[in-house]
Amino acid sequence: MSKGRRGDKPPEFRPGAWLLGTGPEHDIAICTRARLARNLQGFRFSPCLDEAEARDLYGTIVSRLQKPGLPDALAVVDLESIDELERSVLVERHLISRELAAKTRASGVAVDPDESVALMINEEDHLRVQVFAPGLQTEEVWRRTERLDNALIQRLPMAWSEEFGFLTSCPTNTGTGLRLSVMLHLPGLVWSEEIDKATNVAQKIHLAVRGLYGEGSRALGDFYQVSNQVTLGRDESQIQSDVFLAVGRIVQWEREVREALLRGSARTRTLDRIHRALGVLERAQILTSEEALGCLSALRFGIEEELLRDFRVADVNRALLLSQPGHLQRHTRERLQPEERDQRRAQLLREVLGCTP
Amino acid sequence: MQYCTACQKAPATIVIMDLTEGAVTGSQHVCAACAEQMGVVQQKLPPKFSPELLEDLLGGLKGNKPTRPQKSEACPGCGMSPTEFRSKGRLGCPRCYETFRHDLMPLLQRIHEAQSHRGRLPARVAQPVPAPEEDRSLAELRRRLEDAVRGERYEEAARLRDDLRRAERGEGAKS
Repeated sequence: MSKGRRGDKPPEFRPGAWLLGTGPEHDIAICTRARLARNLQGFRFSPCLDEAEARDLYGTIVSRLQKPGLPDALAVVDLESIDELERSVLVERHLISRELAAKTRASGVAVDPDESVALMINEEDHLRVQVFAPGLQTEEVWRRTERLDNALIQRLPMAWSEEFGFLTSCPTNTGTGLRLSVMLHLPGLVWSEEIDKATNVAQKIHLAVRGLYGEGSRALGDFYQVSNQVTLGRDESQIQSDVFLAVGRIVQWEREVREALLRGSARTRTLDRIHRALGVLERAQILTSEEALGCLSALRFGIEEELLRDFRVADVNRALLLSQPGHLQRHTRERLQPEERDQRRAQLLREVLGCTP
Repeated sequence: MQYCTACQKAPATIVIMDLTEGAVTGSQHVCAACAEQMGVVQQKLPPKFSPELLEDLLGGLKGNKPTRPQKSEACPGCGMSPTEFRSKGRLGCPRCYETFRHDLMPLLQRIHEAQSHRGRLPARVAQPVPAPEEDRSLAELRRRLEDAVRGERYEEAARLRDDLRRAERGEGAKS
């Protein structure tokens, strides 16, 4: 068996800020994201808007975003002008939510060239501001979000009150409208069956634990998003430090269980699991995206713990994204039936990871 | 009866007078709908400019309509009913926060263990925000204009309309 590195990457592929694989604690913390829920004065909230109002609102926001002076250069993608496949690519890149992708009326997303800022227009709130950075960087992400929010407040009349803060459609976002989340790779906690305990502890201190694609999604590939639950009654810097401290503790916990998994008799079982996953990635002819994510998670664990030396985390991250249905079909430039997709996925992952069985 | 000079269909109920330095230089008789289209009278004010005052005004005109919505009433800002709010758990507009206050407060307490905001507000953002203040003065002018029209004080209305136009162009009102 020989392993080579593929030098030429597909030209359209860029990982996006959330998947750079860099930043503090990057072995466990994949990316930090801040999200602000904002609504404009003079419009009903998105769930109540009729089609004409939604279009009017969309036009207002887009025209104000195009005025110069925003800290980030944003390009607007009109979701009505792109098809379902392109929308799913945006979802897989975490730039839009699945809810926004499913909208049939005027909506869009404004994205900066690095994909570190994405403003969703006409989602559950008129504006959902998102800022991403790799690794655990809650303070930096919040500072950048605040700067962007200040610029947005200067050009858009936001709905707010002294008593309730920023007014949002769902009472779970009222107040700061801030949801600060960190995506964590926690194979150690999952494999040692301590993940439920960790989740319960997080929930007790008012943190939400969600899957790879947010609310209602499953924790595929041992990826979890940890975020603040409370948006009212605590200010932004308190929320920032709550999330930073809690995530820091989970990261520490994950490190401890990883160490335990690599000691004594547990070590052989852990190595076996990682090498089995590698075997599947190298040999399997049909791979569902769920199985692929599971194997890639094990591979990533092996690389981070320096058990596998012929692979790079950056390639695993590329493989994670390219094995998603939207990216896979865009990469192969054709629409595929699920079974064809699973065949292409197995083939593509071998290429990306440089496995030549 | 005089018909509206704009649409020539409905009876004219509003006279718009143009005043230049106190002297009447022209007038126009229009119906309420055309006046609304021309921006002189706004029938459906968006919630941003003092909806409470408008409601007071309409409440006064309609007789004994209560100014504060009752618990069983739909939100005057968006028409959402209390049942709809309870089943969806979503608010329909900024005014819903007042309309459904009774239901909302315990809900906020349950979710956040708090009922009031701490943190950033547009008014406290380092640089002053021009928009809300501008909106407030515009709202005030619109309200006075509407008052003047309803009170049939047309000379005052024409002056306020000119002030409003100047203010909307960012030139500042003279009065």
